[in-house]
Amino acid sequence: MKKSTIFLLVVFCLATVLFSVDRSQAAPYYEGKKIKIVVGFAPGGGYDRMARLLAKHLPKYIPGKPTFIIENMPGASSMITANYIYNIAKPDGLTIGTFNRGLPFAQLTAKKGAKFDMRKYAWIGSSAVEATVLVIRTDLPYKTFDEMLKDKSVKMLGSTGPGDSNGHLLSMLQAFLGMDLKNISYPSSADVMLAVERKELDGRGSSYSSALPFIDRGVVRPVLRGRIAEEGIENLPVDEDLVTDPKAKTLLMMRSAPDRFGRPYVAPPGTPENVMNILREAFAKVEKDPELQKDAEKNKMKITYVPAEECLKVINFILNQPEDMVNEFKKFVQF
Amino acid sequence: MLDAFVGGLILVFQWKSFLYLLLGAGIGFWVGILPGLGGATTLALMMPFIYKMTPQEALPFLLGMHSVVQTTGDITSILFGIPGEATTVATIVDGYPMAKKGEAGRAIGAALMSSLIGAVFGAMFLAISIPIVRPLVLAFGSPEMLMVILLGLTCISSLSGQDRRGLLLGLLSGGIGLLCSLVGQDRQAGILRFTFDSLYLWNGLPVIPVLVGLFAVPEIVDLAVRGTAIAGDVPSGKLGKGVMQGVRDTFTHFWLTVRCSLVGSLIGILPGLGGGVAQWMSYAHATQSAKTVEEQEGFGQGDIRGVLGPGAANNSKEGAGLIPTVAFGIPASSGMAILLGAFFLLGLVPGPEMLTKHLTLTFSMVWTIVVANIIIVLVSFLFINHIAALTTIRGKLLIPFILLLTFIGAYTSTNHIGDLITVLSFGCVGYFMVRFNWPRPPFILGFILGELAETYLYVSTSRYGWDWLYRPKVIVIFLLAVAVAVYPFIQRKRLQKGESSDEI
Repeated sequence: MKKSTIFLLVVFCLATVLFSVDRSQAAPYYEGKKIKIVVGFAPGGGYDRMARLLAKHLPKYIPGKPTFIIENMPGASSMITANYIYNIAKPDGLTIGTFNRGLPFAQLTAKKGAKFDMRKYAWIGSSAVEATVLVIRTDLPYKTFDEMLKDKSVKMLGSTGPGDSNGHLLSMLQAFLGMDLKNISYPSSADVMLAVERKELDGRGSSYSSALPFIDRGVVRPVLRGRIAEEGIENLPVDEDLVTDPKAKTLLMMRSAPDRFGRPYVAPPGTPENVMNILREAFAKVEKDPELQKDAEKNKMKITYVPAEECLKVINFILNQPEDMVNEFKKFVQF
Repeated sequence: MLDAFVGGLILVFQWKSFLYLLLGAGIGFWVGILPGLGGATTLALMMPFIYKMTPQEALPFLLGMHSVVQTTGDITSILFGIPGEATTVATIVDGYPMAKKGEAGRAIGAALMSSLIGAVFGAMFLAISIPIVRPLVLAFGSPEMLMVILLGLTCISSLSGQDRRGLLLGLLSGGIGLLCSLVGQDRQAGILRFTFDSLYLWNGLPVIPVLVGLFAVPEIVDLAVRGTAIAGDVPSGKLGKGVMQGVRDTFTHFWLTVRCSLVGSLIGILPGLGGGVAQWMSYAHATQSAKTVEEQEGFGQGDIRGVLGPGAANNSKEGAGLIPTVAFGIPASSGMAILLGAFFLLGLVPGPEMLTKHLTLTFSMVWTIVVANIIIVLVSFLFINHIAALTTIRGKLLIPFILLLTFIGAYTSTNHIGDLITVLSFGCVGYFMVRFNWPRPPFILGFILGELAETYLYVSTSRYGWDWLYRPKVIVIFLLAVAVAVYPFIQRKRLQKGESSDEI
């Protein structure tokens, strides 16, 4: 064989090797892949709508532009999803999940069936803050929380059942402020609102975002909020400030803590750090995307990225409470 | 008002809107036919497509899809005895026996025509009630809701066999349904009932897998055992003949169809009850129209009225269901909840404004329901012979497809393996119920209404103490419920008397 032929062959081989190495380095991890968002609730609710909104805009901010798909896995206040992400999903960054922000309480109160440790998820962060407010009908004689306390009638307030953190606020108000109220649970948030419209209820505990359409329409007005605020309700009285007992203060603080990560997003524990960084960066960037902002506004949603570290800080605050505090907390929150 | 009414119609027929309506209705056609896969799930899947649409494009698309699923769902129910939608189960009771007798064409003809009348009625109901919609919906407090639920439960007496044994089995079946509705986390204290440490059961047994199991599996087993086609011994070539007969039947029993549409609409405006109940109440009402003992016993064996009633009601509830959604922003069903999300996306704020400022658009929704149903019914009529011919295919060839579709449909319920286990378990239950002549409809009523009854009993008493018992509307509905419960016995007595006097 001629020397030049051998030379050409060597060059060709080298080039092939070099090119292939080069290509594999340049191809982003997510190129041609699918990311599945597992939603812990049925289609149509706030968690689901947020996931679908993010799924539409996130690909722009992830190198390789992966496709997003949504899978609804409702059940057990989204504990099925939490367990799935924790125990079954592969930690490859291709499956992420979003679930009930109140799940740390399931762990805290050692709820049977909760097979996860909130601290060990690979946290992406949260895409929204969900403040809790007490709203009352606008046609009532009392207009502020102060006046409401002074009014002697029994207040009929609604919530959506034992897992509802807005309902926990009501039972705490009853215990700590001696408010004369009845906490009545309805099948769904919609049913509570209808009961308010037909004056069966005087008001309800609610997340601010879901009460907003009704506040805008003048059906209800917010009079009290938890520790976590959102734009527009900063000046409302805060539940913690109205109590003096430090124990009560802590309990109220614990209740409102998860409001900070209103729409939590996690990946399975052990997802590689470089993949997590891609996802976190995407979530942080997408918050500022003007098109997303426009869509969110249409949806009456507010996107606020809460970084992973902050979410974990809140979770540690909840889970590191001393035992007597936890026992006290269990009286109000069964999950 | 009138110009909004006409304006709405014009809006629907703008070429773009109309095109989207056609597209939506086309999708709805298939969604309805496929068992299990429901309108609500499909609405959620369609949501990403509407971001860039205007309300005039998106609403015909979504509503066109959602308002025809029960129309074509009836077809699946009649042909295979498998609910095409959760809201078309009642059509099976008389529709499937008709298919077995080779009258699939007639049953489908009647179902389609009554669906159309139901849809038009529901839309008219929505249109007429716009001025009085707010007081109408607000008139029903939790105690009144409880009474309506009770009224629904009393239909068990009409859905059971009429002799003493039949009634006993019906009550037992309803009772077991109630027991099954207890599964899951209770709403008041958070106590887990019969969940056997399984998270899957926390939210209770999911409705679609239970329905599919109860109704589809026994029919599939039966088909396999018979080894023939669904319309076993009927000579081929006769099937499609009955279509016009079915259409005529609808007009023979026109007032029954209208009354059942009214039942559907009234149930439809109450958030939370939905089509699951409307179909059975109207079916029960249809059985009350029997004029002789034989006729009464013929229900469940293939009486055309048993197809007309639910056919009309499950469509008429659609227009009425829009009322609370549009006027209050409070959805009446899971499908409407997703539609509500679409409203926000489109920049529409549900509430009184939809009845004033956006009235034209609201009326265009009314027209969408009407137009979409007319189109789908016409299209279905074109294919009816081919569709009915499916009942002549040998069971062995058909069963694998039916099984596959059934399981996929059930699995879309929560995407959990538990869905499949539920189908199989309730398939066994259903099989034995059929085997030993236990009526299945009372079970469904108990199962659907049990949880609602418990919740509203709790809400009523914790809100009003025992005072709610004295509310005039509660008393009126209660008396109505008593009447509905007792009517079958009076009816039977009267019929027997009439017959014996005839003999003399």
